[in-house]
Amino acid sequence: MDLFSQAYPDFTVDYRVESSSSLANTIEEEYDAGATQADVFMSVDAGSLGAVANAGATASLPSEALSAVPSSFQDDQSRWVGFAGRARAVPYNTTQLSESDIPNSVQDFPDASALQDSMGWAPTYGALQSMVTAMRQIRGDDETRSWLESMLDAGISEYDNEFAVSNSAANGELAAGFANHYYSLRVRSARQNAPLALYFTEGDAGALVNVSGLEILDGTGSAELAGNFVRHVLSSEAQEFFATRTFAYPMIDGVPPVGDLPSISDLNPPDIDLTELADVSGTVDLMRDADVL
Amino acid sequence: MGTSDRLDRIREQASVGERDAREPTVLAAVVLAISLLLLSPIVWVLIHAGEMQTGRLVELVVSETTRSVTVNTMILISAVTASSVAIGVPLAILTVQTDLPFKRFWTVTGALPLVVPSYIGAFAFVSAFGPRGQLANLLAPLGIQQLPTIYGLHGTVLVLTLFTYPYVFLTTRASLISFDGTAVEAARTLNHTRWQAFKRVTFPQIAPGITAGALLVALYTLSDFGTPAIMRYDVFTRMIFVEEQARNLDAAAVLSLLLLVLAMVILLFESRINAGRDGAYVSSGDRNAGRIRLGYWKLPALGFCATIATLCLALPVGILTLWLVRSAEAAPAGFSFTLSHVANSVGLAAAAAGLCVVVALPIAYLSARGGTKLSLLPERVSYVGYAVPGVVIGLSLIYLALRFVPFLYQSVIVLVFAYVVRFLPQAVGTTESSILQVDPSYIEAARSLGFGPIRSFRLVVLPLVAPGIAAGAALVFLTTMKELPATLMLRPTGFETIVTYIWLVRGAAYQGQAAIPALILVGVSGLSMLVILRQEGR
Repeated sequence: MDLFSQAYPDFTVDYRVESSSSLANTIEEEYDAGATQADVFMSVDAGSLGAVANAGATASLPSEALSAVPSSFQDDQSRWVGFAGRARAVPYNTTQLSESDIPNSVQDFPDASALQDSMGWAPTYGALQSMVTAMRQIRGDDETRSWLESMLDAGISEYDNEFAVSNSAANGELAAGFANHYYSLRVRSARQNAPLALYFTEGDAGALVNVSGLEILDGTGSAELAGNFVRHVLSSEAQEFFATRTFAYPMIDGVPPVGDLPSISDLNPPDIDLTELADVSGTVDLMRDADVL
Repeated sequence: MGTSDRLDRIREQASVGERDAREPTVLAAVVLAISLLLLSPIVWVLIHAGEMQTGRLVELVVSETTRSVTVNTMILISAVTASSVAIGVPLAILTVQTDLPFKRFWTVTGALPLVVPSYIGAFAFVSAFGPRGQLANLLAPLGIQQLPTIYGLHGTVLVLTLFTYPYVFLTTRASLISFDGTAVEAARTLNHTRWQAFKRVTFPQIAPGITAGALLVALYTLSDFGTPAIMRYDVFTRMIFVEEQARNLDAAAVLSLLLLVLAMVILLFESRINAGRDGAYVSSGDRNAGRIRLGYWKLPALGFCATIATLCLALPVGILTLWLVRSAEAAPAGFSFTLSHVANSVGLAAAAAGLCVVVALPIAYLSARGGTKLSLLPERVSYVGYAVPGVVIGLSLIYLALRFVPFLYQSVIVLVFAYVVRFLPQAVGTTESSILQVDPSYIEAARSLGFGPIRSFRLVVLPLVAPGIAAGAALVFLTTMKELPATLMLRPTGFETIVTYIWLVRGAAYQGQAAIPALILVGVSGLSMLVILRQEGR
C-alpha cells in the first residue's frame, strides 16, 4: 500500500487487515444490516470471496479485468476475480527424500513408506481446509474422511501454520509437509542453503491452485475508482510485484513466475470451480468427525 | 430557638431513615441497568445458537470432539488453578510475613509476569524448549538429541500458570497486608504452634483473597485462546475459533453457550467457598503478626523466588531480545511500527481503565454493603463477560452495534465497551475488598452528622478505598493492553495498536518484527504494575 501511495499521490485508502473469514463474517453482517462499510474486499482465500458473493453482497467488475484472467481463476458468475495464485505443494527435505520417493497423487501418501511418521500439516489453516474441500468435490465425503484418518494413522504431525511446516521441513524435523508454495520460497530467501525443494502432485486435490482475489462490494460509493483499482491490480506492474515480492503466481500472460517455479501451464490442477471452496463448514465438520480438528 | 432547632434535627434524622430506605433502591436500579448492558453480548449467542437445526445441534453437543474438549478444558483449568495457588500463596506469604531479604524486589518480580501476554510467553517457551529451540541447541553437542516435548497438557499448564499466578499472588498479598495480626498473637498465647495458628486463624481470613485470585485464574484459563493453540492442546476456545474461521457462526454460538455453562459452574463453586465473607473485617488493625524468621529456609526461599522470576521474566525478555538480534528478514513495506501504535494502545487501555473504575464502584458498593443475597448478583454477573472469549464478544458487539447503534459501529466507543464487559471483574474485585475493609462505624458517624449518602461516601469511604480502586484500574489497564481478538474485530479501520501489529507480522510469519513491539508492551504494562504495587504498602 505504501508503494501504491507513492505511485499515485492523490489516492488515499483506508484498509483493514484481519483473517479472511472474520472479514467475510463482518461484511455479511454489515450487508444484512444494510450498512456495508468497505468498497473492495481483497482476500487470500477464494472461499471467503465466494461466501460473500453468495450472500449477494457484490457489485459487478469491469470487463477488461475479467478478460485478462483465465476463467479457472475467476468466479463463473464473474462476481470476483483472482489476482495472485497460490499453489498447494509439498515442501520436502532434499537430504532425506528424493523426488521419486513422493507419490504422484496425495491419495497415495498414507501408504508411501518414505513418508511414514515424518509428515506435517496445519489443519486449522484455511488453505489446507480448501484442499480438503476440493478433495470432497473430487472424491466425495466418505473417501475424504478415510484419507484423513489414514494420514493420521501414518503419523502426520500437527502445526499451527504452514510457514512452520515449511521451516520444519527445511530443518529436517519433517521429511515433507503440505503447504502453499510461497512459504518454501520465503524460507529459502531467508536461509540461502536450506535443503528444501517443492514437489507438485498432479491432477488431484493436492495440486489445487487457489487464488488471492478481490471483489467490489455492493453499496460502495466509489464504484468507478474501485473498478480502476481492480484493473490496476491486474496490470503487469502490480502482477510483477506479486510475483517477485510475495512469490505468488501471476494471473496474466506476459509475467512469468519467479525462480525455479514451474509455470502455471505446467502445473496440473484439478478441474473444479473455486467458488465451491466456500463450503468450509462441511469440511470442518468432516475434519472434526475424522478427529483431525 | 433551641426547641425548634432540636425539632428540626429530629425531623432530619427521621427523614434520613426514609432516605436510607430509598437509597439502596436507587443504587440497585443503577446497578441493574449496568448489569443488563453487560449481559447484552449474550443476546447474540442465544440468537445464533437458536438458529441451528436441532439435529445438527445435538450432533455437535454430543460429538466425540466436544466431549474430549470439555474434559481437556476442565483438566486444564483445575491444573492451572491448583498450580497458581501453589506458587502464588507461598510467594505472598514469603514477601509479606517473613524476613526474606530483598522483599520489595521479589514483590515486583512476583507480580510482573502478569504484564506479559500469555501467547508471547508461549512463543518464548516454545522457542526456548521446543524441539529445535535454544535449549536443544545448547544440549545437542553434549549428545542429548531428544528433549521431552514441551507441547501438550504439561506445557500449556506450565505457561498458563507462570503468567497468571500473579492474580493469586496479588489478591493473597492484599489479604495478608490488611490482616489483623493480633488474632494470631492471641492464638500463639493460647498455645497454638505456628502451623496451627496459620491453619485456624490466618488461613480462614485470607481464604477469600485466595479464592478471588483463583477465580480470576480459572476464568482466564477458560477464555484464553493463544496459549493452548500454540502449545497444541485442544480446548474449547480452539473449537470456537475453528468454527468461526469456517464461518459456522451458529456452531460457534452453541459452543460459546457450553463454555458459559462451564463458567457458571466455576462461579457457583467459588460462591460456595466464599459463603461466609462477612468476616473480612476484624478490626482496624495495622499490626502484622511478628515476622516469621526463615533461618535455614532462607536459601531455598530465595531459590524459589529466583526460579520463578527467571522463568517468567528473564526467559521471555531474553528470547525476545534474541529474535531482535537475529531477525534475518527486514520488514517488508507496509509493516512498519510507529509511535501511533503505542499511543493508540495506551489511549484505549487508559479509557477502559477509567470507565471500568466508574462502573465498578456502584456494583462493588452494592455487593459489599447491600445486605441481601440479591445484591451479590450483579457482581457475579460481571464475571460472565470475563469468561467469554474475546472472539465471541467481538462477534456479538458487531451484531448489536449494527442493529442498535449503527452510528457507533466501528468506533472506539464500542471497543472500550467491549473491554469493560471483558475486564470489569478485576476492578470490581479489588474495589469490593477495599470497601469491605472500611470500618462501618465511620459511615454511620458521617450519616449521623447529617451528611447525605453520596456526600458521606465521597468524604469518608472514597479516600479509604482509593488504593483499591487504583489497583483495579491498573489491572484493567494492563489486561486491555494485551487483549487481541475483540480489538481486531471492533477497532475502527486504520486504527492499529501494538497488539494488532504483533498479530499482523506473526500472521505473515515475520516474527522477528514482533520483538520490539512486544518489549515495548511489556515495558509500558510494567509501569502500570508498579502503580498496583505502590498502593499496597500504604
